[in-house]
Amino acid sequence: MSDFSELEAELKKLRPAPVSAELRARIAGALAQPDPAPTAGLLPRRRRRINFWSLGLGLAGAAALVLVWLGRFPQIPQSQSPAIAQGNETGMAQPPSLQRAESVGETETGGPGLRPSRLTRVVFHRRDEGLIFSPNQSERPLRRVRFATRDTMQWRNPLTGASLRVTYPAEQVVLTPVSFQ
Amino acid sequence: MEQRRTDEDWKNCFAQLGPALLLFARRWANCRADAEDIVQEAFVRFWRRDYSLQNRALLYAAVRSAALDRLRKEGRRARREANVARDGPEHAEPAFTQLDEGQQLLADAVERLPDEQREVVILKIWNELTFAEIARVLEISQNTAASRYRYALGALKKTLQPYE
Repeated sequence: MSDFSELEAELKKLRPAPVSAELRARIAGALAQPDPAPTAGLLPRRRRRINFWSLGLGLAGAAALVLVWLGRFPQIPQSQSPAIAQGNETGMAQPPSLQRAESVGETETGGPGLRPSRLTRVVFHRRDEGLIFSPNQSERPLRRVRFATRDTMQWRNPLTGASLRVTYPAEQVVLTPVSFQ
Repeated sequence: MEQRRTDEDWKNCFAQLGPALLLFARRWANCRADAEDIVQEAFVRFWRRDYSLQNRALLYAAVRSAALDRLRKEGRRARREANVARDGPEHAEPAFTQLDEGQQLLADAVERLPDEQREVVILKIWNELTFAEIARVLEISQNTAASRYRYALGALKKTLQPYE
């Protein structure tokens, strides 16, 4: 910028026209008034930050609702559910797999019992573990994604209103073939 | 450590910055009265927020913001307004105090600079902002601010050479 130093010095010699006394008086009057809008115009706008926890939980909740809506949770036939309730004398619930196993032999007992009413699956962690080569499919790489979920199943007895809820952690690994075309 | 500010404080501050602020605001105003309105609005906002002179780049940003708000309120596009402000018959009042013949030529040459270059020159020469501050005020990059400044000085030099 040294080429322009003389020019800059000349420019600095120019004095901008002074401010009128009227403007000074107007500013004095405005400053004497109370502030009508405490943050108008000058304060920087607060940046919106994405809360990934809320976003993740919201998406997981939405996914769970969709799953419930579509009825994709394991359906226990209605005729078997009384057997589930009666097969367990203590009234304690058992995991769905056990219930299903028990119900096979107790479908004939009949009577009111617990019916599945809700399944929620909350995905609280998703980890993309990258590409792997499966020993069986060595030519084609697979992308491995691991989901950590918390599943909650609920049963309800429509006659008595009794309900039973089981929550357990689960892990799901999804392998997706990857194409490099 | 709260500092109490008095009337004298803002008067000193305004005496120091007012003329250059007004020069800066002329870009968006059709006349001196409009420029004064813009400066008043921006300065009052600035002072009420307790910004210190160390943050004075915010004051120029406030002037720009007030000017653009004003143009939007009038329902015209900022660029069109800026062109009108530049090309119209307004600004009969001189931007600089008088001036010998050589200085008058220089002042006229400054007035003829493209808007983008003139505002950078005004902020740099008469408001003594750094290129980083200018970049923040005008929402451009520092390199852009510096190159506009160089182009402007180059143009001024070329304009004045025949007279030297």
